[in-house]
Amino acid sequence: MREVFWIPLGRVGYREVLERQRRLHELRRLNKVPDLVLSLEHNPVITLGRSADPRHILADPLALEAAGVEVVTVERGGDVTYHGPGQLVLYPILNLRGWQRSIKWYIRALEEVMLKVAASYGIQAKRVPSRPGIWVGNEKLGAVGVYVRGWITMHGLALNVDLVPDGFRWIVPCGIHGAGTTSIATLVGREISMAEVSARVRAAFAEVFGVQVRVRDPTGLEVMAR
Amino acid sequence: MVDIVIPPLGEVEEVRVVRWLHEVGDEVQAGEAVAEVECEKTTFVIEAPVGGRLFAILVPEGRVAAPGEVIGKIAERAGGR
Repeated sequence: MREVFWIPLGRVGYREVLERQRRLHELRRLNKVPDLVLSLEHNPVITLGRSADPRHILADPLALEAAGVEVVTVERGGDVTYHGPGQLVLYPILNLRGWQRSIKWYIRALEEVMLKVAASYGIQAKRVPSRPGIWVGNEKLGAVGVYVRGWITMHGLALNVDLVPDGFRWIVPCGIHGAGTTSIATLVGREISMAEVSARVRAAFAEVFGVQVRVRDPTGLEVMAR
Repeated sequence: MVDIVIPPLGEVEEVRVVRWLHEVGDEVQAGEAVAEVECEKTTFVIEAPVGGRLFAILVPEGRVAAPGEVIGKIAERAGGR
C-alpha cells in the first residue's frame, strides 16, 4: 500500500508554516520529497485567498493587531478565513497524478475526511452545492482552500474542533453573508480533545486516500531532500 | 504561435481567471507560471507550454473560461520548446 508521511507540527505561527509549505511544495514538484501531510494548529490569523474581498474583515485593524492576530494574503483559492487554536489544519502536499487529476475529486476527498470525523462524533454534516467545505445546517464546520501547480497540492483543510477565541467573529467567513461557523465541541456540547480528533483525522485520511500514513519527525524531510 | 490552454481539471465546467502573472510582450520560459485560475476554492496554476514572448491574453482577469479553452498565446522562441 502506498505511504504518505504524516508530519505533526503542533501549534505554529502562520508565516513560518507558509514558508515551510512553499519549500516542501517546490521539493515535491522536483520529486525530492514523498507525498506528505502537515498536521497542525495555528496561532490566531486571518488569511485572504486569491478571491478575497478585504471588506470581509469586520474587525478594526488596530484591534486585530492588539489581539496579536496577523492578516496574511496567500495563494490558495477562496475568500477570507480564520485559523487559530482549537482548529485542526491539514496541509497535504501530494502529487495528485498518484490519485486522480481532478480538482473536484480532491476537494470531495478532503470534505470526505472531515465528514467521516464529524460522523464519528455523531454529527451529520453535509456538502452544500457550490459551497465547498462541510456544513451543519447553515453553519460551516470545516473549510477547504487549495493551491495546485503541476498537480502538486498545497494548503488544504481546516476543521473547527473547539475554537477559543472564536476568531470567525472578526470576519465574514468565505465572504458568505448570513452563514455562520460552528465546531465539534459546540455541536456535541462537551470538551473535545485535539489529540483525539487528530488521530481520527489521520485514520480518515488513510481510508479516503487509500494509503498507509507514517508519522514522521518534521526535521527529517528537509534533510532528506538535500 | 502556441496556445495557452486550460487543461482538463476533472468534471470542472468553468474556471475564473484570477491572475495573469505576465503582461503581453513579456518573455516567459517553458514551464513558468503564467496565469492562475480558480474553481472549487482551488487556485490552479497555468504554466507556459513553450518559451517565448507572451503574444496575447484572450481571457482577462475576472473572466471565466472552460477547460480546453485557449486563454492566451505565446510567440515561440526558436528552440523554446
